[in-house]
This record gives sequence, C-alpha cells and structure tokens, in this order.
Amino acid sequence: MRFRFCGDLDCPDWVLAEISTLAKISSVKMKLLCAQVLKDLLGEGIDYEKVGKLTADAKFESGDIKASVAVLSFIFSSAAKHDVDSESLSSELQQLGLPKEHTTGLCKSYEDKHVALREKLRETSLRLGRLDSVSWRVDYILSSSELREVNQPVIQLKLQRQGAESGAPETTVVSVSADKFRVLLAELKQAQVLMNSLQ
Amino acid sequence: MFVCLLHRLKTCQTRILTVFPCEPPHRGDYSATWSLQEWLQLLDSLTALFRLAVVNNISDEVLSQLSDVSSSQAEVVLSVLRAREEEIRCALLDRTNSISSATLQDFDWQLKLALSSDKISSLHTPLLSLSLDVRENGALRPVTLEMNRDELGMLISSLESANKVVLQLK
Repeated sequence: MRFRFCGDLDCPDWVLAEISTLAKISSVKMKLLCAQVLKDLLGEGIDYEKVGKLTADAKFESGDIKASVAVLSFIFSSAAKHDVDSESLSSELQQLGLPKEHTTGLCKSYEDKHVALREKLRETSLRLGRLDSVSWRVDYILSSSELREVNQPVIQLKLQRQGAESGAPETTVVSVSADKFRVLLAELKQAQVLMNSLQ
Repeated sequence: MFVCLLHRLKTCQTRILTVFPCEPPHRGDYSATWSLQEWLQLLDSLTALFRLAVVNNISDEVLSQLSDVSSSQAEVVLSVLRAREEEIRCALLDRTNSISSATLQDFDWQLKLALSSDKISSLHTPLLSLSLDVRENGALRPVTLEMNRDELGMLISSLESANKVVLQLK
C-alpha cells in the first residue's frame, strides 16, 4: 500500500514496527513527546530529560525511546516534505494501526507547526556558496606609483559566504573600480527585478 | 641608441606602437628591421616614454624630448600617443587599483528556480548565482555566490549605500 506522507511509496517496515511502540504510551504523553520532536526538527533542541520522564510510565527502555523519537521525526519531516495535510496524515496513520486518540494529538501538533516546518526544510535545503554578509568601504585614490594623478574612487568589498564544498565560511576581499561597480550594481538590480517577477 | 633606432621606424610600422598596453607586438614581424637587442631596447624605451608621458600628463612635451629625431618620426610617435593616451591611462588606473589588493576582473550571473530538494519536494525558490572573476597576483580566481531573494536584497542595499558615496564624489 502506498502512503502520501511517504511520498506515494510503501511505508518503511521500521516505521510500521515502531508505530506499535508509540501506541504503548498514553495519548496525552504522546502529544507532549510530539512537541519535543517538533522542537528538535525546528532547530530549537530537544530536552532528553523531559522525553525520558514522558516515557517513564510505559517502562520504555532507551532503545524504545530512540525508536519513538525517530519514528515521530520521520512522520513529521516526511509529511511536511510532501506537503500532506493533517487530515490525510490522520487517516493514513490510522490505517497503519496508530490508535485514534494518538493520531488526533499527533496531527494537531503537526497542523500547528506545518508552515514553520516547511519553512525550515526550505531553509535547510542544499545551498552552494550562501552569502552571509557584505562589508564595504569607499576609497578615493589621489596618487600612485603608476599614475601621478589618479583622483578616482575605488570600492573595497568583503564578501563572507559559505564554501560550496566544505560549507565552512570563506571570505573574499576584492577592490572594484567605480565603473565596474556601477555595472555590477545595475545588473544585480536587473536580476532582482526578474527574481521578483517570479512570484 | 633609441633615437637612431627610431630613425629606422617607418610610418607603416606604427602598429608596434599602437598595441601597448595590450599584447606586446611580435618580434617576428620586425626581425628584418632590428636585431633582438635593438628590438628589446626599442620596446623598453617606447614603453617608458609612453608611461612617462601619461603619468606626468605632458604629452606635448614628449615632442621636445624627441627633438633629435626627424620630425616625421616624432610626429608618428606623438600621433600614436595622442590616440591611445586614454587607453594607457585606463591601463595604469587598473594597475593602480590592483596595488596590494585583489581586483574584480569580470562577473556573470545566472537566475534559476530551485524546484525540489532532498528536504522538501516542492522548493520553488528563485536563486541567483553570481560568479566573480577575481584577479589576484596575476591569476584569476573564481568566486561563486548563491543568493535567495533576501540575501540579494541585502547585497543590493549594501552596494547601494556604497554607490551613494561614490556618486557624491563626482
């Protein structure tokens, strides 16, 4: 059987298996667990101590805790990845054997964070050489060893970006003559107009 | 020496002068007129003369420096200098800009729409790739940036404020 939240593919076996683990904790605790997992996915960090307390009643071992966090992570991120609405997710999870109360709690949490989750996934998608910051300085060159009277402005640019391969920050410092700078700015504006017309 | 070499310069050979500051002329074209040593000396002298003229902005005074050359020869040198003065000045400006810093040689951009990724199936985000050719110590180094709408906006507003200052200078 194919599921929309799995990208119209079969549900992975391990997810199927761990859904029965989720059914062991109460629906209220499960909703709190969902909140923790969503926090993790949104980059706010997960409180493992809290997760341990939530699952203490059901006598979860550390393997069960890891599995339930993993399966919830998968459900949330995969559903957001394929932009599944909470109603469809609810019916598909019930088909997979998750009790109705559990499903309702999970889907409510998902619905609340759906937009934020998609925004986060969009943000963390692969980017090559992301621009981090720009610094500039305008100099006026009066004279030089090459030319007695220069009297020309020159723009020093410092661009900080993430390296295309390593992802480590890289800094480029470059000086741009006034003429080239004008052309660069004009062309970037032209590109911006095109970009804005795309939405 | 320079003067006597110049005496052999014919009007049809002014090409030798007009190619500075781009590619130096080919010695092969003039091997019949000058020996290798003479050729190198002539090139050095003319380069120095032209630079001096443009650096000090005294193209008319060059004529007096060439007073011991026949007037037709001097006229050739001067006409070339007048015609290319602006170009030589630009080349020297470029050299000035590249003193102790990397310079922007050229740039290209590409606007693209990212459709999908491993994180999200419908990404639909426009991205601008900006490729800068940076000349550093004579070698070209490509620098590639990728910007979304917000980052491009940040870059443009930053450059815009720099541009305001540049415009005030004029």
